[in-house]
Formats: sequence, C-alpha cells, structure tokens
Amino acid sequence: MSTLIYLSSSPYSSNSIKEALDLALVFGTFEQSISIAITGDALALLIASQTPTVRQGKHLFKLLDGLEFYDIENIYVKQEEIAKLAIETWPGVSPLAQESWLDMLDQHSDIYHF
Amino acid sequence: MNYSLFITGSPTSSKACHTALDFAEAVVQDSRHTLSGVFFYEEAVNIANALAMPPRDECNIRDEWVQFAQQHSIPLYVCIAAALRRGELNEAEAKRHEVDQHNLASGFLLEGLGSLLSLTLESDRTMRFK
Repeated sequence: MSTLIYLSSSPYSSNSIKEALDLALVFGTFEQSISIAITGDALALLIASQTPTVRQGKHLFKLLDGLEFYDIENIYVKQEEIAKLAIETWPGVSPLAQESWLDMLDQHSDIYHF
Repeated sequence: MNYSLFITGSPTSSKACHTALDFAEAVVQDSRHTLSGVFFYEEAVNIANALAMPPRDECNIRDEWVQFAQQHSIPLYVCIAAALRRGELNEAEAKRHEVDQHNLASGFLLEGLGSLLSLTLESDRTMRFK
C-alpha cells in the first residue's frame, strides 16, 4: 500500500493540516509507505519565515524537518506554484510539473485529502 | 469487496455522517460486500457526543449509527486525540484528565490512528466522507 497525504487547506484556517500530519506520522510509525503532496492554501505550511503564536496554532513548519525520521521523504509540490511564492520555503520538497504531478497521484493506492 | 469507512465531516455542519450511513447500509444489504469498520476523525468525532440532542422531529444520526453498528456488529472507532481536543471523553479519559464528566456515547470506541491503518489494511477499499 502506498499512501499519499494530500494537503490543500490552509494550516491557519483549521486543525485539518495538523491532523493530516498526525495521520502521516502514525502511518509512518507503522512503516507504511507515505508521501505528502502540498498544493493551494496548504503551501503556507512551507514558508520559512512564519512565526505562529500559540493562539494561531502549533508551529507545523518545525515538524517538516522531522518527517525523514518517519521515512517520509517524498514531499511533492507543483513546480509552478512553488515558483510563484517567491519567498524562502522549506527546501525538502520535490517540485513536479503538472504532468508528473498527475503521474505521481496515479502511483498511490490510497489518497487522504485534507 | 470489503470496505472500511473514514469519516471526517461534521455531523452538524455537513452531511458526511449521513451519506456514509446510507453507503454503509447499502454495503451490508449486498451479499457481495462487507464492512470492516468505521473510523471517525476531524470534526466527525462530534458524532460521539452523548449530550448532543437534535430536535425530536429530526434525524438523530448518532443513534442511527449506533443502532446500525450493533445490528451488524460493526465497530465504530473515534480518534482519541481528535475527540479529546473537542471535549469528548470516556470515563477512563475523564479520570486521566481529572475532570468530573464524560460524554462519549455508548457504542463508540476511542482508538488511535493505528486502528485506522488496521482497518485500511484489511479492506479492499476505504471510502472517505468529508
């Protein structure tokens, strides 16, 4: 089973991204093959300069460096979206062109969309 | 085909829990299919709040799920972390957190996300309702 955690909602609009990453980490703990795709509003997760307050939510950016310890090494973004951000972002992502993005989706047996 | 259900939509501000129950009923009525279990996550965990009281002339989706699950021996798992975050505790968690009340409805089980993984692995298909 290859599982993709597909993130498209903002990390600041709800607990959805936090709970999606919790799911990814637990599946990783159980040695499942996990990848993460980040698109749309969820790209805010990758912005390096963010400093959320406790009221705004957990500092999820800090979780990103720990993903490799759960063998989560494929973090996909869309090439055109990450280029448009024009701001320092977390460097561990794999940018994909649109066609490769669709191929990547096809390669996963299970997709959880948050 | 063996199914499991992964429900994340709120029982009050979405119809996720309602359409999932429609689907579950269709599954058990067809002898070609089975249903291994149901996992509630995100806002869907609110379905297990025993203190939620919809008007009597409206659908009580919590009680309908419990009745269905008991009738067909299907486990209803509620993510423990998501539930605690939203103020839903069983007696054991109430004691652990030193609060006087608990409100997890009978028929629901507080479980970790590992139970979702188990359900997924034993199912041919996991259906998501959000």
